[in-house]
Amino acid sequence: MSGPRIIDGRNLLPPEPLELTIDALESLSDGEYLTLLLYCQPHPLYEILRRDGYLWEENLQADGTREIRIRKATAGR
Amino acid sequence: MQPTLSFEQAPPISVPFRFLLTAPLFGVAAGLLLLWLGPEALASRWAPGALALTHLITTGFMLQAMCGALLQLVPVAAGGNVWRPRLVAGLVHPALIVAALSLVAAFLSMRPPLFVSAAVLFAAALGFYLSVVGIAVLRTSAQGATVLALRIALLGLAATAVLGATLAVGFGLRLELPLIELANIHTVWGLGGWSMVLLTGISYLLVPMFQLTPAYPLRMAFAVPTALFAASALASLQLAGNLRWLGEVGAFLALAAAVGYAITSLWLQRRRRRKLTDSTFHLFRSAMIAILLTFASCVAFEFVPALGEHPRAPVWLGILVLFGVFTLAINGAVYKIVPFLNWLHLQRRGVTAGAAPNMKQMIAESAIRRQARLQLAAVGLLLAAVLVPELTRPAGALLAASFALLEANLIAGVKVYLRVSRAIQAA
Repeated sequence: MSGPRIIDGRNLLPPEPLELTIDALESLSDGEYLTLLLYCQPHPLYEILRRDGYLWEENLQADGTREIRIRKATAGR
Repeated sequence: MQPTLSFEQAPPISVPFRFLLTAPLFGVAAGLLLLWLGPEALASRWAPGALALTHLITTGFMLQAMCGALLQLVPVAAGGNVWRPRLVAGLVHPALIVAALSLVAAFLSMRPPLFVSAAVLFAAALGFYLSVVGIAVLRTSAQGATVLALRIALLGLAATAVLGATLAVGFGLRLELPLIELANIHTVWGLGGWSMVLLTGISYLLVPMFQLTPAYPLRMAFAVPTALFAASALASLQLAGNLRWLGEVGAFLALAAAVGYAITSLWLQRRRRRKLTDSTFHLFRSAMIAILLTFASCVAFEFVPALGEHPRAPVWLGILVLFGVFTLAINGAVYKIVPFLNWLHLQRRGVTAGAAPNMKQMIAESAIRRQARLQLAAVGLLLAAVLVPELTRPAGALLAASFALLEANLIAGVKVYLRVSRAIQAA
């Protein structure tokens, strides 16, 4: 498997970060994490994630970056 | 894993769109009114034509755009669930249209029943709207400066509506009320406590997102809406006695808070992470410069009494604030909101990312640029018309053309949504 999958959406215009994330989710394996970096909370993405069966955790970093780690809900912890 | 905010009741796209597509039509009407009335529309703040023009923009263009945007923004940006949004929009949207038209007709004809009917319709429509959206904004678990601004803005709208309805009933039924004081307080709440607060709250969200600027400094982001609320409340105290000066202090404090927000916005624009400059960027920057011009004009009017006491001085300020600040800022924002909503709702309907048109394909940038230039020219000509009254009709024609073009551009964006939606259904 390749290294950790990270999408840095901080310098991209909406909805590009969401589009890249949705594309990347299609090839996400069980147990694999996709990390998205943004300066805002992507509420529309959360709705899509919930609808399509993904889990995520969000960490707010000191510089205002939100690190969102996404994985499939079917995979064990 | 953190619990998620619920979006099950996020409104269908028709909910915000019906408001956003109606708003420019009031702008067209404002342009046509100027064309019809000519220089008398800008003769003084209290001229019936000026009051009709003001309310075509505030209760027509601005209120439609702001109420529509909020119905979408509250669930998407603040995580608040709006109760039965389709029903709310179905009742509030037509009621606000009739109320605004009734009020404008009342100012032009001075017929008491029209004032009373406008007051009743506004009170009912906004009372219902504020109850539903207010509960959603109060109950959301989301926090931050935008949520604070949304809560304050709704309070500001409530105060504006109560004062406006009182004025309309007082005017219609010829009640003994301190009309000038009430009108001044109504203006401070309407422009400061409601409109400017909402503009700041939406800026905190949209400016970093769509203009790729750093975030607004946290302290400033909380301070500006709070100061605008405090200033509006302070201005209201003039009703307690012979304290009209408190109104002036409140208005000045509100303007100072707006200046802080404008300078910060311009500073953030200079520090944006990618040097993208589209029409929304220019419109927003022009709106911020208009805030600074308003402040500079107020200072000039204060120190040069011959200027400040001229009946057209308040008209100059009104045009700067209504057309220079709010129509430009809203004009720029809807060019981001409509394409983004298109994209979002197409996603909801199951369009894969590659299959949906990207945001720049929803409304052509060349068409946006043409309309933005026309709007800026119209605002410039309107300001010139305060000094040279003969320019009022050309300014009105330009304004009507610009808002008509805005409507055409928004319709083009909606057509893209409909075309792709139909393609999904057919597939």
